[in-house]
Amino acid sequence: MNLGRIQRGVVGLGALGIATIVVLNWMVFFWVPTESFQGVIQRIFYIHVPAWWITFLAFGIVALCGAVYLWLGDERADMAAVAAAEGGMVYCTIGLLTGPLWARVAWGAWWTWEPRLTLALLLWFIYLGYFLVRRSTANPEQGKRLVGIIGILDIPLIHVSVSWLRSLHPEAVVMRPDGPNLDSSMLWTLMVGLLAYTFIFFALFLARYAVERLERELMLRDATPAHGVNVS
Amino acid sequence: MREYLLLVWTIAQKDVMIELRTHERLAAMGAFAVLVGVLFNYAIDTSLVRPQDIAAGLIWMTVLFGGMLGLGRTFQLEQEDGALTGLLQSPIPLDALYLGKVTANFVLLGIIVVLVFVVFGAFFNLRFTGNPVVLAGVVGLGVLGFVALTTLFSAVATRSTMGESLLPVLVFPLVVPVVIYGATATSRLFAGRPLAEVSGNIRMLAAFSLVFLVAGAFLFRFVIEE
Repeated sequence: MNLGRIQRGVVGLGALGIATIVVLNWMVFFWVPTESFQGVIQRIFYIHVPAWWITFLAFGIVALCGAVYLWLGDERADMAAVAAAEGGMVYCTIGLLTGPLWARVAWGAWWTWEPRLTLALLLWFIYLGYFLVRRSTANPEQGKRLVGIIGILDIPLIHVSVSWLRSLHPEAVVMRPDGPNLDSSMLWTLMVGLLAYTFIFFALFLARYAVERLERELMLRDATPAHGVNVS
Repeated sequence: MREYLLLVWTIAQKDVMIELRTHERLAAMGAFAVLVGVLFNYAIDTSLVRPQDIAAGLIWMTVLFGGMLGLGRTFQLEQEDGALTGLLQSPIPLDALYLGKVTANFVLLGIIVVLVFVVFGAFFNLRFTGNPVVLAGVVGLGVLGFVALTTLFSAVATRSTMGESLLPVLVFPLVVPVVIYGATATSRLFAGRPLAEVSGNIRMLAAFSLVFLVAGAFLFRFVIEE
């Protein structure tokens, strides 16, 4: 993909994302009815749940790209993994911050050691390690392989958390075998949230991918001696 | 198969022999474990908490932290002397190299585990009435999983400029299942619960340790190759 097309993609997806975020906020604050049981605090659900879905999507991409990089050694897979990991980290942080806000009111405690919460926190730290390894390896080729390994090791963790997603917790309202048991206006708001976050994620992903590519081209150019050619 | 095991054994034997001659890592880990026992003794108000109730947790944390200290240096000696390059150029398969390193680390940490149990048993006046074979099995499986992970990641840490300070960030998130099942099973055994209450934990512990070992043997080549 050439840079021009990536740039158009970033602008297009970013604009769509911002537009849907505006719509989402209007829906969350003015349109969707207040849930009778939990009250106003339930509205955080429309931000919290899409954030986690995108987190799992992003870290899934990292795992997949890590495996592809280890297998084929394709540079693009590694660049996609960096881009997805940074995006995923943002959403993971949003999920970890909005969760306790809701839990304080709904459960009466900021944090409980419920398996899904623990896994989410661990995932965040695994990706902290991911960035630390990436930054601290002297040999970039090796660094890419090392983070590929971390990406792969998180697969079982994601798998476990996703399979537990169905059995525990309030989130089991949408992913149910007999269909969502959610008021349709709430489901719509949630879907708009998911759409908005997906747009923003892929805009960020593409932008980060382009930056990573430019960075590597620059490094490559610095590494190869100039032959008296004006490279600007 | 026999040849493969012989290769694993050769690597393990080499590492254990170096350690038994220099005592570097054993001394560091052993001193750490005993001193932590002393610190725990003063950090815990024994008039409020019975040491017997929290002993399993203390023992596990001491073994993990102490292990981190010693196992982080698994590749240090070879890295410093350039011996790693020689080792990599030898015709030994890389997974055999990994398994050899894991075996050596397992033996070394096993020595430390015995020391921790003896010392903590004396310091905190612990009484164990259960089946010692089951206890050894639980601790052995847990230590195996931990060693499998730490050996892999110590190779990662050796390759980075951050060195061993990187190790806890990489190992601790993944070692959580081992701690969950291992420490709970140990606690229950110390409380004198029957075997039926820990058999589920032992199965999970075995599953995780096996997964870590196989994944480590498979992924090691990507870490260690230049």
